[in-house]
Amino acid sequence: MTMNKSAIQFSDVTLSYGQNINRVDVLKGISFSINTDEIVSIVGPSGSGKTSIIMLAAGLEKTSSGAIKINNEDITSLNENALSAVRRQHVGIVFQSFYLIPNLTALENVLLSLEANQKYNKDEDAIALLTEFGLAHRVHHLPSELSGGEQQRVAIARALINKPAIILADEPTGNLDEVTSKNMMQLLFDYTRKQQTALVLVTHDNDLAQQCDRIIEIKDGTIV
Amino acid sequence: MALLFNYQQWLFIHRYAVRDIRRSYKKLWIIALTLFISLLLLSLTFSIKQSLNDEIQANSKELLGGDMQISSGIKPLSGEQLQKLSNIAEVSQTVNFFTMLSKPDGGAVFTDLRSIDEHYPLYGVVQTEPAGAREKLLIETGAPAVLINENIQNQLQLKIGDELKIMNTIFVVGGVIASVPDLTNSAAFGEFAIISKREFAKFDLRAASSFMKHDTRLKIAKSDDYQRKIETVQALLEDDKSIRMRLPQDSAQSLRRIIDNFSNFLNLVSVSAMIIAGIGISNTLLSFINQRNTSIAIKKSLGFSAKTIQLIYFYEILIVLFASSILAYAVGVLSPLAANAAIPESFGISLQPSFSLLDYANVAFIGLLVVLIFSIPSLYSIPSIKAAALFRNTFQSVNLHFSVKNIAYLVILTTILVAYFVLQTRVQLLTLYYFLAFFISIGIFYSVAKLLIFALRRLPAFSNNTYKIAYRNIASKKSLAPIITISLGIGLTLLLILSFVADNLKREVVDSIPSMAPDIFFVSVNKSEKEPLEAFIKNLDVDAVMEFNPMVSAAFVSINGQSVESRVSRDNRSHWAIEGDRRISWSEFPPEDNPIVSGEWWAPGNSDQMLVSMDARIAKDLNVGVNDEITLSILGREVAGTIMNLRQVDYQGMGTNFAIMINSAFADQLPYEYVGTLKSEIPSGEIQAQVVRQFPNISAIKVDRLVSKVGAIMNKILIAVTSISLIVIVIGMIVIVSAVLVQTSLRKYNNLIYKILGVDFATILKAMTLEFAIIYFTLLSFSVSAAALASYFVVESIFTLQWQFDLGLTLMLTVSTGVVTFALILLANKNMFSPAVYPLIRNE
Repeated sequence: MTMNKSAIQFSDVTLSYGQNINRVDVLKGISFSINTDEIVSIVGPSGSGKTSIIMLAAGLEKTSSGAIKINNEDITSLNENALSAVRRQHVGIVFQSFYLIPNLTALENVLLSLEANQKYNKDEDAIALLTEFGLAHRVHHLPSELSGGEQQRVAIARALINKPAIILADEPTGNLDEVTSKNMMQLLFDYTRKQQTALVLVTHDNDLAQQCDRIIEIKDGTIV
Repeated sequence: MALLFNYQQWLFIHRYAVRDIRRSYKKLWIIALTLFISLLLLSLTFSIKQSLNDEIQANSKELLGGDMQISSGIKPLSGEQLQKLSNIAEVSQTVNFFTMLSKPDGGAVFTDLRSIDEHYPLYGVVQTEPAGAREKLLIETGAPAVLINENIQNQLQLKIGDELKIMNTIFVVGGVIASVPDLTNSAAFGEFAIISKREFAKFDLRAASSFMKHDTRLKIAKSDDYQRKIETVQALLEDDKSIRMRLPQDSAQSLRRIIDNFSNFLNLVSVSAMIIAGIGISNTLLSFINQRNTSIAIKKSLGFSAKTIQLIYFYEILIVLFASSILAYAVGVLSPLAANAAIPESFGISLQPSFSLLDYANVAFIGLLVVLIFSIPSLYSIPSIKAAALFRNTFQSVNLHFSVKNIAYLVILTTILVAYFVLQTRVQLLTLYYFLAFFISIGIFYSVAKLLIFALRRLPAFSNNTYKIAYRNIASKKSLAPIITISLGIGLTLLLILSFVADNLKREVVDSIPSMAPDIFFVSVNKSEKEPLEAFIKNLDVDAVMEFNPMVSAAFVSINGQSVESRVSRDNRSHWAIEGDRRISWSEFPPEDNPIVSGEWWAPGNSDQMLVSMDARIAKDLNVGVNDEITLSILGREVAGTIMNLRQVDYQGMGTNFAIMINSAFADQLPYEYVGTLKSEIPSGEIQAQVVRQFPNISAIKVDRLVSKVGAIMNKILIAVTSISLIVIVIGMIVIVSAVLVQTSLRKYNNLIYKILGVDFATILKAMTLEFAIIYFTLLSFSVSAAALASYFVVESIFTLQWQFDLGLTLMLTVSTGVVTFALILLANKNMFSPAVYPLIRNE
């Protein structure tokens, strides 16, 4: 029996914006833990706080109170530089809108993730991953020359190339058609299971959520 | 700190920046262009100054005319002195004096005439047309020959072989002088002629004329002990205080000073251009960052620190700076070849390209400082771009970031920039004032823009659509008002100040002189000729007004026992007064238009002692006052005198004004001649011709000729100075165009909305015109006022002339600047007038 390590741990986390009558409580003391080899979906209505959880886990937002641990390291009080280091070493992010850098080719976009980690001259690794994702013929194409599905595959490759402990995906299929979405998610599931990477998936798609190991449902900033 | 030593990461930054520039060069070309133009001006200044100095250095012996020049003023060296010098080196003697050259059938010019011996020039060559004319001049065959320069040839319509009368002798024009090696001003700009020493001797000018200048030059053989011989000559002549000795390194001092002053002016103009370019760099860089806020956010989401991203963009700017500075310096290095075309042939100068790594480093360092100063507030906006925005698709434009740390950096870097310029110039205080005024101007023009926005917001709302669109554009956060006001305001103010000052000087000197000036100046009028000349003129015009003053040449030797050379530096404003022989006069009574400001005029009598009256301004510059003792060398005799009073000399008055006057009782014992003025109803050319014919030894100078010469020179200076200051305006215009271009998307989007709402093209165009008109007239009101005040101060206080506002000139400059700027803005906006609606509907 293998002992599962905690990849993400939220302890009584709150997140609020504004003050007094303008105060908006986005998260109201949520706690959960996600293991390293677990695939978890976060579901809930718009404005419930799903994306905020992802942003907090990525160190792109600061908690109002509570604690967050990434790979057992408390990131709550880290400064911007330390949070950047946590992100590049342990976290890969996949966005709904792909967000590839427009003047870099598919290969350069993937390499950028390695270069952020000061891993240089790893073109072969990046090409291998893109080839595995069926993009061998698109390696030197700019994002504007790729279809939506291809762009998202590049974005996933970019998130995975560093073999991070955690993948945070925010509605990764939101801009894709049904067939492409299925293929895309299969790719992501297969790869994260193979790498034993924790995958946190924010989605509105109930079918997709059902394919995950666990579902965390959020409503009005609390876990239901 | 780790980053500093991480070679791989630097390599990544380098690779990323190079790739980004290659793929986004269109977004950086404005930065490259503004940097290139301002660095080019700096490079041109450094390069041409270096080439000129190299040329002077390489030709210092030619410019001096020998290894040593000995000026003995109005008298030649004694036979004994010459004999001793001949034993040491090869000797050449020249005499320069001013006299009239006239055509037998009429027409005369006042000319700097030089007599030369067979050894002249000891270095270099006299270039003539036809070649060899100098050699023929020295051979005694037939009628004596004279070589004339092109100015004389043109004025008197002469050709080779024509006759010319000098004093009572008829000469034949033997050739036209193209250049002489020692860069005589008259040869280049005025009237200059050469005759042989033998013919000069025949004039038999026994009485030393006050306008005569004897020079002896020495050429020391190369194999000899140069320094020892120089010291021997110096020891030989050191007792004669009327003698001035100069060595090659002292040659072309006035030219060196002109080069220094002009390059200082150019440096200030170019740094002004650079600072305005810096404003454009700041603006373009901020826009560049805003256009890339998604890319920056993505990088942050991948774990790049803000510092690494800042370094990437800063590195890109450095590459642009490096490329611009190399290109600018390369053009600068080659510029002397083009400058040769602008240098008159009579100068005999051929500039060579001169590469200096130090000069390039200087240009690049100044560029780096400006880039650093203006990129810091833009680059420090990067930390405020949040990667979290990628989840929400909500990107907000960032603004220039001014934290306490940033402001401290900016203050330090600006201080280094100012100190770097100030320490390199000889006019340090003036340079510091310039920078202060410049930075204050930036603040003022920024405040003007903010004031305009504030005032517009307070105005009642008009229902007119054109006004509403214009108002919204000006009052919006992305308003062009601050950048137009600063970029154009400073350049326009500089142009107006220089033009107002130059225009006032020209008007005072050229336009007002003829009405108050005499028609003719007489110089070298012997005592015996004064009364016949007066009678002759009265005979021509009984109403003619004449004024004659006695005059003798004198040179400053010492002040309170201290030699003038050691007491007065070359930078002193009144150094001219102690250089060589000056004309002094005397009078029983103080001149009417020379009020005494200190001390008292002397009582008549007392022929034993020389009493001195001095120009108060010169006295102040030389740090002397009443009761101080000055020693003058008058006709080779050293005479000590006491300063009795100081006068306020009005050199603008058209009487004969003298910086130094002495007591009549003492001066009457001296041999002297007269200088005089004449005002008459008869045309000056006619009087000049008759006087020259009747009195060939007297020089009669037509004032209108002098005035037109001064006017022509002032026109050239006016054009040169305003053209140079135009560069600042051009940079300002480029900055404005860049500001317009970086707003293209926003304006296009706005115009699209207006179009959907039914606003037509004409209304958008009218709104843009109104927007520019409001901004431009606001900046004009401050620019013209500031320029008028500054030029008033310069003209009235520094030049003590009467200042006048020239509406025509103001309109010409401001309207043309406004029209060109607006045309450029329209051109930059050409894509915004009819945007396609489709992209907005598709949310593209």
